[in-house]
Amino acid sequence: MSVQARELTKDYKFGFHDVDVSVFRTEKGLSPEVVAAISQHKNEPEWMLKFRLKAYEHWMKRPMPTWGADLSGIDFDDIYYYVKPAGEQSRSWDDVPESIKNTFDRLGIPQAERKFLAGVSAQYDSEVVYHNIRDDLEKLGVIFCDCDTGLREHPDIFRKYFGTVIPPNDNKFAALNSAVWSGGSFVYVPAGVKVDIPLQAYFRINSDNMGQFERTLIIAEEGSSVHYIEGCTAPNYSSDSLHSAVVELIAHKDAKIRYTTIQNWSDNVYNLVTKRAIAHERATVEWVDGNLGSKVTMKYPAIYLMGEGAHGEVLSAAFAGPGQHQDAGAKCIHVAAHTTSNIVSRSISKGTGRTSYRGHIKVYPKAHDVRINVRCDALLLDEESQSDTYPYMDVESPDVTIGHEATVSKVGEDQVFYLTSRGIDENEATALIVNGFFEPFVKELPMEYAVELNRLLALSMEGSVG
Amino acid sequence: MISDAPGVATDAPAFEDGAQGRIASSTGWLRDRRQAAWDAFTAMPMPSSQRDEDWRRTDISKLRLASFHESDPVDETLVAAIRERRDHATPMAALVVDAAPETRIEQSDALAAAGIVVSSLEEAVRLHPALVERALATVGVAESSFIALWNAMWRAGAFIYVPRSIDAAVPVWVAHSAAGDRSATFPATVVLLEDNSSLTLVDDYLSAVGTDELFSDALTIAAVGRDARLDHHVLQQWGEATWHIALHRTVLAQNARLRMFGATLGSRLQKAYWEVLLDGPGAEAEIAGVAFGDAVQHLDHQSLQAHRAPQTTSRLKLKVAVRGHARSVYSGLIDVDRIAQQTDAYVQNRNLILSHGATADSVPRLEIRANDVRCGHGATAGHIDDDHRFYLMARGITEEDADRLIVRGFLEDALAHCPNDGVAELIGSLLDHELEGDEVAGIALVGP
Repeated sequence: MSVQARELTKDYKFGFHDVDVSVFRTEKGLSPEVVAAISQHKNEPEWMLKFRLKAYEHWMKRPMPTWGADLSGIDFDDIYYYVKPAGEQSRSWDDVPESIKNTFDRLGIPQAERKFLAGVSAQYDSEVVYHNIRDDLEKLGVIFCDCDTGLREHPDIFRKYFGTVIPPNDNKFAALNSAVWSGGSFVYVPAGVKVDIPLQAYFRINSDNMGQFERTLIIAEEGSSVHYIEGCTAPNYSSDSLHSAVVELIAHKDAKIRYTTIQNWSDNVYNLVTKRAIAHERATVEWVDGNLGSKVTMKYPAIYLMGEGAHGEVLSAAFAGPGQHQDAGAKCIHVAAHTTSNIVSRSISKGTGRTSYRGHIKVYPKAHDVRINVRCDALLLDEESQSDTYPYMDVESPDVTIGHEATVSKVGEDQVFYLTSRGIDENEATALIVNGFFEPFVKELPMEYAVELNRLLALSMEGSVG
Repeated sequence: MISDAPGVATDAPAFEDGAQGRIASSTGWLRDRRQAAWDAFTAMPMPSSQRDEDWRRTDISKLRLASFHESDPVDETLVAAIRERRDHATPMAALVVDAAPETRIEQSDALAAAGIVVSSLEEAVRLHPALVERALATVGVAESSFIALWNAMWRAGAFIYVPRSIDAAVPVWVAHSAAGDRSATFPATVVLLEDNSSLTLVDDYLSAVGTDELFSDALTIAAVGRDARLDHHVLQQWGEATWHIALHRTVLAQNARLRMFGATLGSRLQKAYWEVLLDGPGAEAEIAGVAFGDAVQHLDHQSLQAHRAPQTTSRLKLKVAVRGHARSVYSGLIDVDRIAQQTDAYVQNRNLILSHGATADSVPRLEIRANDVRCGHGATAGHIDDDHRFYLMARGITEEDADRLIVRGFLEDALAHCPNDGVAELIGSLLDHELEGDEVAGIALVGP
């Protein structure tokens, strides 16, 4: 058992931190030296170092975005940009640190279900500490590893796609990630291979004042399919942490990628993530995006429908409790003809929580026979909560059918009355209604995640009435 | 000196003399207001599509204010055409022509007999300063550079005051016009409705058909008292080279009701704010409109439904057809204050895109801070449905006629909300002309 694993067998509870056992960390704050130190520590090729330093320049030049959530609380000089935990990456369940096993249990994934995952990856702070993939998939040529390994062992595929969907100068936080990225998943599915059960990654911030900047790159070759699931948590520290990931998906002709996220960061994490997919001819990309945790989330999974007949789906659910701001949404950019997209967003605000749906639909002039549907519903649970909707639609093609509908309302007194008159207490009735409200989202999750999500919601809803 | 050099921070020199003259000839609060407005305007950069979210989709970098002068006097043929238009829609209406050299008023005796004031805004400042001050308080001096410029520069304008419990027996038709290439005008309509009164108002912005480049910086302010009712029509039919920037703002007291209908047909570029502030409990606003964009027109509508008191209701429906290389931009906000419980608000924007090259952007936003509300929005963009076309053609209607019928039917749904039948009929006939391919940016003048 590694040093880390022994350390981590101490009591672990969700929301409490493990002993900090990092063996290497950069200085607080960001400078070209820190960027170079990360690259050097990872023994990266020259092009990646240049990529990082270029990204660092973009990061310095770009102003902070002012149009979304309040980000004034982030102190970029007070963050560790790279923290490497002790212990090597392990490949056997027995070697997995007990704490991670416990965490999986906390997530409610029973042992039996766990066996049915095609592959699992777990990232602690900046590095992936556990990684496994089923042998049969590996034999078919499926690659599932952390991004650093991807760069080292599959340099050609990696370099061909890395940074092509989200260039380093895309936005301020993509630039930051590009400069200091570490860990994340690299998935490659060869042509025709259908990975029929999900690949899973699990991300955790353990160190205080830590920034986690994982990078995920998924490539599905022609006619292949894959479902990737990620979960995120962090312990509660008194000071804030920053999570700023970049996720790039490429779905080639007739391929299908589904990307599911259940984000349950502790409520002192700024979660500023850029997620974007390219869907080629007749490909399908689905983002299933659940935001329950964090202090502030800004995340708008995007799909660029580049090939004829491509289809995009975004299913978003957000819950903002006291002090939280979930600024989430979706973007579908229709470049090619006969493309379709569907966006469904459900959000709930409670206490001083605030949910914002921010969406962008764009149809380019040559994209004819396009169909788009957007549906946003928000529930406000009390007088202090707030909900906003900012959908942007730019249509430059005459041959489109676009519908957008949004509603904001409170939990219906009639619904509560109907349930309480049948002997269900008011708290439970509200929780039932909330569960029903999230139903379109929950039903798309694998069963174990659905069970867990309902449980998390029930916890969040405790004491929300009265 | 007029400066037209690139890189000049503001275009202040263009209107410097006009503004200083107005400041010098005003007294008391108005002088202070004009001075503050002018100072703000000269200190403020012009809105930029690079910098300002409101202007992101509407580019006015080609508007060179410094090249404009104040409007030439409009000639009698134009006034005659305006009169004819009023006669066509609402022959009984009092007429106010807000155009250089000075505001003229016709046919207002019946209203005057009931104690209703219909005058130029200039005259109202002299005769009813307290009333004007009260109405103007609704708009900040320097909310934006165009509002600041308006506050410094308005001159003739229209003022309408309806005393308590009086119903205006006939509508008031306010026509705002200008003439001459590179002419600037600052249309003004200021309306004060006392408690339990009512008024039907038409704001009609128009110029002669042609390529004269005009600049219109317009403001309508309406303060509607308790239980009072305002039916407000806004027709925009400027000539094809006109820049039209406008704010139409209505403030509703308790149980007050606004019905507003807008028809946007003219101008090269429009940015119009349609705002209703529901300040009193029980206030209601029903806003609807049609817009038809053609050639290279850029038509921007930005709405605000601000619910600031409980039990308030608002509805907004804007239907837009664009063809050629026209671009429509709609953005709207339903803003619900924490105390505005039991708000019921809905906004919808439906776009029909008739040709390649035409575009429609739609951004209907919601910001809700009360929880016991019903709010929503809907936005659609689409083209002529092949099934509908087929259905009509199968009955022997030509393809062109079928398309015209479909577009007309699409817009008719909003036109049905127009409060005044005569005005609705006028707008309907203008839409028919537009669909026939006739020029409706500006009005055709007949005469000597």
